Amino acid sequence: MPLSTKHKSRGMHGAHHVGPNMTPMVDVVMVILIFFMLGSSFVSPDWYLTNNTPAIKGGLSNVKTNAMPPTRINIKLRVRGTRTIAILPGLQTADLSGELASFLTNKHKALVKGVPVQIFISPSNGVPYKDVITTYSDCIQARFKQVAFRPPPAQ
Amino acid sequence: MKIRGIKPMQDTHVNVTPLIDIIMCLIIFFLLVGHIAKAASVKGIKIPSAKNGKDMRDKSDQLIINLVPPIGGYGDNAAPAILIWRNQIPDSQLASYLRKQKSENPKIKVVLRADRSIPYKFVAPVLISCAQAGIASIHFMTRRPG
Repeated sequence: MPLSTKHKSRGMHGAHHVGPNMTPMVDVVMVILIFFMLGSSFVSPDWYLTNNTPAIKGGLSNVKTNAMPPTRINIKLRVRGTRTIAILPGLQTADLSGELASFLTNKHKALVKGVPVQIFISPSNGVPYKDVITTYSDCIQARFKQVAFRPPPAQ
Repeated sequence: MKIRGIKPMQDTHVNVTPLIDIIMCLIIFFLLVGHIAKAASVKGIKIPSAKNGKDMRDKSDQLIINLVPPIGGYGDNAAPAILIWRNQIPDSQLASYLRKQKSENPKIKVVLRADRSIPYKFVAPVLISCAQAGIASIHFMTRRPG
């Protein structure tokens, strides 16, 4: 046996990797990571409507409505059967997020630029929350910036 | 004489240790975030949809108020439960609770997570309590239509 061949075989024995085989672990961990990343992307992100409510000290009787802009639009929401209708000067509709939205948009365009307008949404007791949100969304779509919610009328 | 055979062979494997460290950190992060999100929100709430919502980039200092509809409907004076961090808060104590939270963290942001079917008479007291606590901004949690 030539000397050089003997030495070569010894050298190769010394180069064996003695640590644990990490490949299966990396595979599993990668699968878990991809699962979490995909799972989080399938969850629809939160979507918010932000409202600036007036801070009241000492209860509702202290709300200063005269501090609000003099130009006001009151949107009454009432339940008729299974539907919610919006009542405001010049319009009565059950088509929230359709007719109401376009009415408010036209109203906003017709207003003098720079004149602040206060919108009041006045739902009755039984109006579902989703219709209140739809109405509020319509106001935002029409670019009204000051929108307030009125407490429901006393029973 | 130079002997080639005894030249130490270098390990040609890729060092995966830092990769595993980072991946483990990411997994722990996702697990914790999922756990926190689960604790803050409550199941059984169908959120209303809105076309004109926006993303909230800064989600720090959030206080999520969950309004959960009663299981048997709204008959017999049944009212939705107000849950904050899975603790039920009585209606009468909500304003004082919020006031305390506001004093502890003036930057607090209230997120209202209410079921779409809840009548307005149960939502209005929550809005009034927020106003009484001096919280000037409420974020209505909605979902994208479709």
